[in-house]
Amino acid sequence: MEYQRLFESGISTAAAQAWRAQGKKALGVICCHVPEELFYAADILPVRMRATDCVDNAEAQAWMSSFSCSFARGILQYWLAGPYKDLDGIVTSDGCMQASRVYDNAAHINARERTGKYIRQIDVPRKTSKRAYPFYKEELQILISELEKLSGSKVTDEKLKEAAAKFNEARKLIARIYALRKEKHPVISGADCLRLTLSATNMPIDEYVALLKAFLADARNRTPITDYRARLMVIGSGLDDPQYLQLVESKGALVVQDALCFGARGFNEPLEIDDGDVLGSIARYYLDRLVCPRMMDKHFEMDDYIIDACKQWQVDGILYQRMQYCEIWGGEAVYFQDRLKDAGIPMLTVEREEQLANAGQLGIRVEAFVEMVEKED
Amino acid sequence: MADVRDLEELVLKGEMSITEFACTKIDGSLERMRQKHPEMLWTMEVQKFMWDNYRDAHKNGKKLVFYGGSVPTEIIAAFDCFGFYMDVIPFRLSTNPALTAKYIDEAEKYVAPTMCGLDKTELGAWLSGAYGIKPDLFVYNTVPCDSSRLAYPAMEKLMNVPSFSFDNPFHRDERGAAYLADQIEDFIAFMEEHTGHKLDWDKLKFYMENANRNFELQKKCADLRKHKPCPLPGRLLVLNGTTNAIACYPEMGDLLQSELETGQMMLELGMGACPDEKYRVAMLQNMIWGAAGIMDWMEREYNAVAVMDAFGFQGDIMYEHMDDRRDCLKVMGKKLQNNPMIHGASGPSAYHLDLVDKIFQNYDPNVSMFLGHVGCKHTWASAKMVSDMVQEKYGLPTLYLDLDAIDGRYKTNDEIKAQLSEYFETVVMK
Repeated sequence: MEYQRLFESGISTAAAQAWRAQGKKALGVICCHVPEELFYAADILPVRMRATDCVDNAEAQAWMSSFSCSFARGILQYWLAGPYKDLDGIVTSDGCMQASRVYDNAAHINARERTGKYIRQIDVPRKTSKRAYPFYKEELQILISELEKLSGSKVTDEKLKEAAAKFNEARKLIARIYALRKEKHPVISGADCLRLTLSATNMPIDEYVALLKAFLADARNRTPITDYRARLMVIGSGLDDPQYLQLVESKGALVVQDALCFGARGFNEPLEIDDGDVLGSIARYYLDRLVCPRMMDKHFEMDDYIIDACKQWQVDGILYQRMQYCEIWGGEAVYFQDRLKDAGIPMLTVEREEQLANAGQLGIRVEAFVEMVEKED
Repeated sequence: MADVRDLEELVLKGEMSITEFACTKIDGSLERMRQKHPEMLWTMEVQKFMWDNYRDAHKNGKKLVFYGGSVPTEIIAAFDCFGFYMDVIPFRLSTNPALTAKYIDEAEKYVAPTMCGLDKTELGAWLSGAYGIKPDLFVYNTVPCDSSRLAYPAMEKLMNVPSFSFDNPFHRDERGAAYLADQIEDFIAFMEEHTGHKLDWDKLKFYMENANRNFELQKKCADLRKHKPCPLPGRLLVLNGTTNAIACYPEMGDLLQSELETGQMMLELGMGACPDEKYRVAMLQNMIWGAAGIMDWMEREYNAVAVMDAFGFQGDIMYEHMDDRRDCLKVMGKKLQNNPMIHGASGPSAYHLDLVDKIFQNYDPNVSMFLGHVGCKHTWASAKMVSDMVQEKYGLPTLYLDLDAIDGRYKTNDEIKAQLSEYFETVVMK
């Protein structure tokens, strides 16, 4: 089945190579506060950067030190000497200081080596306000001007709307797939669902939408998963390693929902365009939508989302994984710990590195947690 | 006067607040100084001014405005409120590792151990109910770092008082300054609402003039350090961190004036902080509040004086048109973007590189050190860019040494000294 490509979660450079072979640009994107619609409208392929399977980030560690998160180091490593080395540049937002430092180091190395690649960090406000929306919209306008120069392609409202429509289609299809996971016996595991969302970074949006449709058309033919003991929701730092969830699920858990930027949160709700202010609609959407705790005024909204999702997906417990040195998610418990207790939702907190290195310990802890939260039918 | 350990014990038992502890400790230090080093009293008097005002703000009929990160303190002062810079808690407690340990452990019930010790101490102390003072208002900014971005909104929730937050853009350009100026207008409205007073521009001018004077004095002190031998000790660089707390008050100017006069006197006498200065150390990061004595030790043991650090306490952004409201607010915006130390390293790394480059151009250091606070992960992630530049442009290697500015359990002073000794003896003195 062609849609099997959705489950190939390793980083593929094929789409970027094909795109560039047509004389067009492909840019790496870090963090989900960079609207990918803008890139398509400028005829540029956005490649959301990740660090999946990065087992050696020595060169990046030399730049960013061992006190940086291994996800960010992995991205820089892949940019310096990995699947991203041939991209035409990087656009990042200050999602967190680690993402910013990927930008800083990449820009520094770029300048030293005179590669001429396009490296840009956009300013994304950390709170929503009447001041923040126009500021961010102007920032996006500046980015558009630069993308236009880079691609030689004019960005119009029509092109932006067209791109937004494609992303909305993907967002709606992903929402349908997540809805399948509400079932008592879902037809897709947590690990496979993460593979499926990650694969969006491997191909153009049109292709992705077509494969999602094919998957959904065939979903009813898939074998329901019945052999699990507890339904979990995974929350926390950017997780781009399906093997991590595979290990969790091998211990009797089934991951049915998440609050991950590479999962549900990265896709989110559809973007509604106001024809009178297309770019303003995009700016407002990207600031308003709930993605990760980098937005300082959305902590409580995130708590509400998690608690509500637990109810809707009949979650037995939460797996809160925090990447070492990820401060954005690392202390979020200060907001939700008591609320989860009040809501009667058990939580297991685990530290993680990009490379799955403590599988044995994680397995034992998940197994114990599953035993604690599983319910008799 | 009770022994510090007895005071610590009282705080640990919850029988004394941090504010009372700080005030009592400062009074004790002043008393000892009066007897042994009356000429150095000025270094402590500013601490007394700060902490007594925190403690007595309500008694003096002033609202207490807690703040985190880089905020326009001139406006807080102009509304007759007293600003409480929350970082003074970890600064003050950093020489009492038993206390910081207690509050850090408290915070780590919720937050990751890798979070910055400053924020953990502030959060843990609040969760322990140990401050001894209560805010009327809370203001914070989205700088300096991810740790504070987590801690400040959490404190906002816990404090449950009217609050205001600034959104500080990553890039430090005119557009960002204008964005901040707009937010400062909102902040003025917030202060007017919660104090019941309209902004008195003359009062604001008074504090802006003070800020200008203080920055000018700070620049003059920094300039003195260019001389050989360096007339001012490295310890005073570490203490610069405190100036963010009261940068617009005349008392800060008094401290800097005394510092300047001391430095000028030393210069006239041809004396340096080291009797026989051999090494001039550039500090690429310098957060050793819990171990400031190390500066004295380096001067004694190795004739090595820290001539400048990369926090940017070299005064540059000044108010020019005091009657032009928009212009003043834009200057405030620029100050928020470039506030020494607070934002010194959390914006684009290019600014950090520039600061370090200026140190090497102006202060002629022959030793380069990065005494990096482990909580400053973003600064660590810039370190190679900075040290490469120092190596390539100035031919000097850089010592990287990790420490925790607040949590003494991470590395003791003796360990830090041992590592510095090894560096001096195996690299610098070879």
